[in-house]
Amino acid sequence: MKGITMSTDEAPPASSGGGRTEPPAFDTSRANQARVYDYLLGGKDNFAADRAAVDAWLEVDPELPFTVRSNRAFLGRVVRYLTAEAGIRQFLDIGTGIPTAGNTHQVAQGIAPETRVVYVDYDPTVLAHARALLTSSQSGATEYIDADVRDTERILEQAGQLLDYTKPVAITLLALLHAVPETDKPYDIVAALLDAVPPGSYLVISHAGSDLLDAGQHDSLMGVADRMIQNKIAYRSREQLAPFFDRTDLVSPGLVRVEEWRPDPGAVSTGRSTLWGGAGRKR
Amino acid sequence: MSTGTPGDDRPDRGPVELSAEATVLRMLLGAQLRRLREAADISAEKAGYEIRASRSKISRIETGRVGLKIRDVEDLLTLYGMTEPQERSRVLDLARQSSTPDWWTKYGDLLPGWFESYLGLESAAETIRSFQVQFIPGLFQTEEYARAVTCLGHQAAPAEEIERRVTLRLLRQELLSRPAPPRVWMIMDEAVLRRPYGGPGVMRAQLRHLLEVAQLPHVTLQVVPFSHGGHAAASGSFSILRFAERDLPDIVYIEQLTSAVYLDQRPDVEHYLEVVHRLSGEALTPAATTRFIEQVADET
Repeated sequence: MKGITMSTDEAPPASSGGGRTEPPAFDTSRANQARVYDYLLGGKDNFAADRAAVDAWLEVDPELPFTVRSNRAFLGRVVRYLTAEAGIRQFLDIGTGIPTAGNTHQVAQGIAPETRVVYVDYDPTVLAHARALLTSSQSGATEYIDADVRDTERILEQAGQLLDYTKPVAITLLALLHAVPETDKPYDIVAALLDAVPPGSYLVISHAGSDLLDAGQHDSLMGVADRMIQNKIAYRSREQLAPFFDRTDLVSPGLVRVEEWRPDPGAVSTGRSTLWGGAGRKR
Repeated sequence: MSTGTPGDDRPDRGPVELSAEATVLRMLLGAQLRRLREAADISAEKAGYEIRASRSKISRIETGRVGLKIRDVEDLLTLYGMTEPQERSRVLDLARQSSTPDWWTKYGDLLPGWFESYLGLESAAETIRSFQVQFIPGLFQTEEYARAVTCLGHQAAPAEEIERRVTLRLLRQELLSRPAPPRVWMIMDEAVLRRPYGGPGVMRAQLRHLLEVAQLPHVTLQVVPFSHGGHAAASGSFSILRFAERDLPDIVYIEQLTSAVYLDQRPDVEHYLEVVHRLSGEALTPAATTRFIEQVADET
């Protein structure tokens, strides 16, 4: 990955159907999901518009901070499980977000230093941090790709410089697919990614659940998102998420709220998140 | 930071580590005073009048760049309507703890006040992000490079003063090797690497030193090459200091010839934050930067 501005390269469109592939502008006048998460995780790389969107969101969904923290904790547990128990040594982490403590490579390489991690994000705020900070540990290797999840061809090609597709890969899509509306064919995207990796690979998803909110909340949140957030947000029900895991066997306990996915022994949950989470092993 | 530092004449105070802490405490105190003042809807002018100080002194107090007398804190608390004895004593304790002397006190004669403030903030910061267009950042300078730069800036100074200035700069660098060092993220214009202060030999050694520093896990270096054309920071060098405490705002530091500007108001800070984000997106990655510096060293 060298490239300063790779966005104007040939970059083939990801999916045939009207997918938007140009990266978002670095626009601080509207909130974006990466910076909103940063703010909720206690970071300072956020701007007035991000904080205003969080304030509006909290009016409707006071559990948002818990949800965001739970998603981060889910990432830690799932990467630990995959590295320590499932023997995974390659990760493709799409929708990286602004680096904070306990990033995928730190968790995985902390357990198995030879683990290779490729991060992918298209957010310019993430780009700045990721290129500078998500650097390689000594024996493993970490790379960052500046690309949109809709651009699966490019992601797979570039990630292939570090990842060996003849060996299992864990593909993690955390709090990402709800920013991919139906028109951008999220199911095709996930299928294309899974196609590239061998049986024994894993797919990990966390996703905002429309059925984890009541209808009034859902409508109000979509209003806030439309008005204040750059990313298009599309919540999905648990039933709508199931097809993402076609061709995989879900790891116990299946598709559950993220804080309920293999919680640490003795952990007491202090809230209820609005994210479904699960991990499936490719057949 | 270890030997030969001031504070030695205050046996009950640990030496230097405390100075960083004192700065943070001053900042926390300042942040509290600002909150109280704003809640009481009192202008900085009026607050300044109360303690016979200017509006800008109040601003320096509220950003923790200067300490203040306990009596002044008491007067301000009264003005802001804080009468509850327990709450008052909490703030006053903070004020007392924050008045530890700093390690650079013995170099005070060399340091303009505005730069002393920077040293305090720098040693208290959790992250230092900076863009440099002219000089190798002070934290990364070799002794010879520092001497060359210092001689230029102080041509009439006696040799002894030059040496003390160089020593001061090198002492500052102990920040990088202390137990919990700050993350230092430097973006440099290619010009920084090309201008051979002290001559090609000094510069080559300096560039090699830069390559060593770049290996430190808490240091990130990025270069914006000339070939990139224009970049997001048309303005010039600046630093953004970030502190671990959630309450403390980032501070932007911009040095001028005879003074410095400190920005801590959110809209100003966010403007610089946006620029530094763009810059690091435009600059070479750390890995490419290392290769680039090696190449420049070969050409120097």
